[in-house]
Amino acid sequence: MNNGRAVVLVIEDNTIVRMGAVDLVLAAGYEALEARDADEAIRILESRSDIDLVFTDVQMPGTMDGIKLAHYIRDRWPPVKLIVASGNDILEESSLPGGSSFFPKPYDDSAITDAMARLLASDNPKGTATG
Amino acid sequence: MTNRPTEFFEAASTLAVVVSSNEPLLFLSEDQRVIAASASFCRAFDIDPATVPGKRLDALGNGEWAMPTLASLLKATASGKAQISAYEIDLKRPDQKTRQLVVHARTLDDGDKDHVRLLLAVTDVTDARAETRLNNDLVRDNAMLMQEVQHRVANSLQIIASVLMQSARRVQSEEVRGHLHNAHHRVMSIAALQRQLSTSKGGNVELKTYLTQLCQSLGASMIAEPDRLSIAVTVDDSAVDADVSVSLGLIVTELVINALKHAFPDQPSGTIAIDYRSDGGDWTLSVSDNGIGMPEGSDAPKAGLGSGIVEALVKNLQGEIRMSDADPGTAVTIAHRGPPVRHADLSTAV
Repeated sequence: MNNGRAVVLVIEDNTIVRMGAVDLVLAAGYEALEARDADEAIRILESRSDIDLVFTDVQMPGTMDGIKLAHYIRDRWPPVKLIVASGNDILEESSLPGGSSFFPKPYDDSAITDAMARLLASDNPKGTATG
Repeated sequence: MTNRPTEFFEAASTLAVVVSSNEPLLFLSEDQRVIAASASFCRAFDIDPATVPGKRLDALGNGEWAMPTLASLLKATASGKAQISAYEIDLKRPDQKTRQLVVHARTLDDGDKDHVRLLLAVTDVTDARAETRLNNDLVRDNAMLMQEVQHRVANSLQIIASVLMQSARRVQSEEVRGHLHNAHHRVMSIAALQRQLSTSKGGNVELKTYLTQLCQSLGASMIAEPDRLSIAVTVDDSAVDADVSVSLGLIVTELVINALKHAFPDQPSGTIAIDYRSDGGDWTLSVSDNGIGMPEGSDAPKAGLGSGIVEALVKNLQGEIRMSDADPGTAVTIAHRGPPVRHADLSTAV
């Protein structure tokens, strides 16, 4: 949370898709941070304590994919909410940490912002911004 | 013959049967001497037939048949304690690849209980196993490749969807934004089909699942007040060719977008109903709403890209389109009569 706005970290290796995801986060009224892979995401998560939600892709370069990253975040920063999107839907949904939301790609932007609002409202009823 | 054969003479017919066996076969005495070997055995395992009779099994060839496991299994078989049924052993020979063998052993049941003799059938399964392994590898590679392709398609569609949505958020004109959203819906309609295809077998698409998913996705992105407007989908168990399903999905997408835009300007509630049913080659798709009905005269909206797409696709499916007053609301019915256009129905296919 930063000045009453929820902070969302977007992790996606494809530039255009990452731009789109950051854009939808901003349009929904949240603050957006972005990373290209799990390592960069972890550096950002370590450097600041105001991240409320992580929206991550699954397949990406680096030491961890989005599923490993989701588990790592759940273990290390349990309050951070998780949304995971992937082009490999059936395989991956069952391997995610409990409580995270999964969307197959291509995702519908409004479905993602709805999920963000729902997850952020679940323990923070006043802190959610709406677009 | 230098070796003492057996004290016992076998009937010539028994020996002839063994020698002519198509399956590699050894006929052994109780103490594991070879009474006869089939020509197929000698050929398969490179053994000179003349050297065979009377030889101990473990002295055959260059001694490669001296396998303690085989000897003990044969001993157990001879004593009646066990029967070897499809036991796997490796045949190792110097300078040759190890062969995988499947052996079957049993005592010869010819009523002579004083002279135990053994029949040992030996099948070389090395090549068959290699072929099975190769086939399994191919099937696995194929599945992985398929998954990779589907993944790439999904990611490509995501890039297109992302670009369209970013453009839609940036443009000032409501009309242009509407067009960009429509383009986005069309992309999502094809994406829903792609997802459905990735889980279906044989390239046929179950329309019920596909159209339900499609309308859920359209509703989620277009309906701001889900309590006010809803989409109901009723589809029979039809499964259609992927090409046909793309057309049907796009038709439904256009008609639902159109109804959501125009049918319910101020209505407190409204429903759009999608219905598909087929009977042999005949099928009917209808999209109806209980909204304000078709505007007439100068109020009628200009035919846009959406209606052009619908007309072209209906023509392609050799269907006929009819618009009618549903009182209240509008019904669009598309019907095809006659033999299917690359169209398969589950109920008739089974």
